[in-house]
Amino acid sequence: MKIIQKILTMVSSRCSDELSGLSAALLLMLLPVSALAQSGVWYLPEHNETVRVISVAAGNAFARDTYLSASRYDGWAIGLEGDSWTGYRPDRLFSYGRSLSSVFFSPMTNRLDGGSTLEAGISDYLAFLWPAIRNNRQDLLIGPSAMFKANVLYNRQNSNNPVNGAGYLAGGLSVDYSLRFSLLRYDMAMQATFYAPLAGLGFAPDYDQPYWYMYNYGDYGKALHFITPFNNPAFLQQVAFVLPCRGTRFRVGYSFDYIGNRLGGHSRNIFNGMFTIGCALRFQNKEWNQ
Amino acid sequence: MKREIYIRLTASVVLILLMVACSQKTEREDMEFSNTPAGNFLSLWTIMDERYCFFDLKKEQLGVDWDEVQERYAASISNEMSSKSLFEVLCSMIGELRDGHVNLTSPYDYGRNWSWKTDYPSNYSADLREKYLGKDYVIAGDGYFYRILDDNIGYLVVESFGSFISSNRINVMFGNMLLCNGLIIDIRDNGGGDLRAAEFLASHFTEKSLPVSYSCYKTGPGHNDFSKLYTNILTPAKEDMRWIKPVVLLTNRGCFSSANDFAFTMKALENVTLMGDTTGGGGGLPMSSELPNGWVVRFSSAPTYDSEMNDVEFGVAPDIRLDMDDDDIKAGKDTYIERARKFINDKLVNP
Repeated sequence: MKIIQKILTMVSSRCSDELSGLSAALLLMLLPVSALAQSGVWYLPEHNETVRVISVAAGNAFARDTYLSASRYDGWAIGLEGDSWTGYRPDRLFSYGRSLSSVFFSPMTNRLDGGSTLEAGISDYLAFLWPAIRNNRQDLLIGPSAMFKANVLYNRQNSNNPVNGAGYLAGGLSVDYSLRFSLLRYDMAMQATFYAPLAGLGFAPDYDQPYWYMYNYGDYGKALHFITPFNNPAFLQQVAFVLPCRGTRFRVGYSFDYIGNRLGGHSRNIFNGMFTIGCALRFQNKEWNQ
Repeated sequence: MKREIYIRLTASVVLILLMVACSQKTEREDMEFSNTPAGNFLSLWTIMDERYCFFDLKKEQLGVDWDEVQERYAASISNEMSSKSLFEVLCSMIGELRDGHVNLTSPYDYGRNWSWKTDYPSNYSADLREKYLGKDYVIAGDGYFYRILDDNIGYLVVESFGSFISSNRINVMFGNMLLCNGLIIDIRDNGGGDLRAAEFLASHFTEKSLPVSYSCYKTGPGHNDFSKLYTNILTPAKEDMRWIKPVVLLTNRGCFSSANDFAFTMKALENVTLMGDTTGGGGGLPMSSELPNGWVVRFSSAPTYDSEMNDVEFGVAPDIRLDMDDDDIKAGKDTYIERARKFINDKLVNP
């Protein structure tokens, strides 16, 4: 088990290093891809159809929160992810909807193994997408989106300030890209997602504001901040491959989720990089209007 | 085709802009220290410099100049020094602040400066206290003991505020003491605990809500970056019995942190008289952080002031100053308790 954790941490950490600069989605968009014609492995949902992918995730996490400690912590992470696409009426501007929900947990230690921090988090992302490109071999969907994200860090070494939270509720831009291709005579599909919050409300204590003060005096106002990409740089990116296997479509991917806020005078850098594996299911929705 | 290229380029530009925004770094974020003696030293000094809340007070009362402290102790730091030597130097450096809430925890020791207690007479004897409590005292909670003394005065010992006394047990205690003429609360050598436990006990000694203290917290790295003052209101424990007869609170230098808070809270009440020595202080709510080598530093972060806006970091002065008398000790008497009994009995005659 420990070996698996170590491998996951090492490989995932390497991936996140490589991917943190520019997403694979961006690279693939810029490259002249030579894909084959549409295969049946992955296509966007039709009107009133939903495609849902339930995945388990494992990888690594990294956190540094100067409210709790000046040290860096890292360790393995596990999670669950639910991802769904819905097709709306084709005559609507945003004719697709996407939601991505995940929960994750990570026990982390600092480099010296002298301390430990636990991280738990939840994120929920909702996007309305306009099909900028949709043809046999690729789909490019762009649109506005909203995301709620909350991470809680628990530093087991601290006495009066053991816990700190970081989170935001923000609107942003979302880009989804799908490419269908064949490799070694097998039809496959690659999906890439990038989301970044542009404006919203972020939570972080007002410098050394004790949580006890928020609770005792009801003074939460100082802990709420207007966020922009400059004081709350955050993004979610995901690259996944859909592979058919005996009538089932599996999705194997890597998602990278980052918050780097500098709110309230302290800085926080929290990322979770996780490999995901799940299976994709297609559902027919009820006609709501009938 | 042109439309596709245009869309790709636009999306790429937006993504690149977002990535650039994400990679912006501030000076603070870059400020990470190496795990070397020099790095750990600078890390500790900086954490304290940016987050400790009593620099002005310590400069005024103790002459501590934190920049000068850095210069002085930096000379003792070398990258060849052992971990234990580094620990000693760092403990000496933070010891300059003479703050019981400033500690450094390493795997082999707990760095502290307890001069706020050890430099003064203890004015307390555990043996004598045991003698007054006798063998049939009531245990009303973890660290809460009481009995009724021979002259019909209640005697409550609070060893620690590490845990709460329950409402039920307070009601039983006050019920048992219903006919008592007064109550002596002995918090000598109570090193603190949970602020809320102290406040909860104090709320049983007032009939009306009143402001008992003010507090604030640090809002930035500057020595004077503080939030507005928050008023702490003590509200009566309305559901429970409340004590309105005379109370004498016995204090000594060993009363620290939450016990210090309890002392100034009780001092604001009309029926309470503080007797004994000034408390040990500890008027700052502590927080913790960590050095690159994993050692944990605790520091005062949010200062508190009493109801008259006096700083309580150096303790709360009693209404009646008292020292233990050697002759009393030899005679097996506790000067503090005897004076408190006399005070309450005198009040009966001359209210």
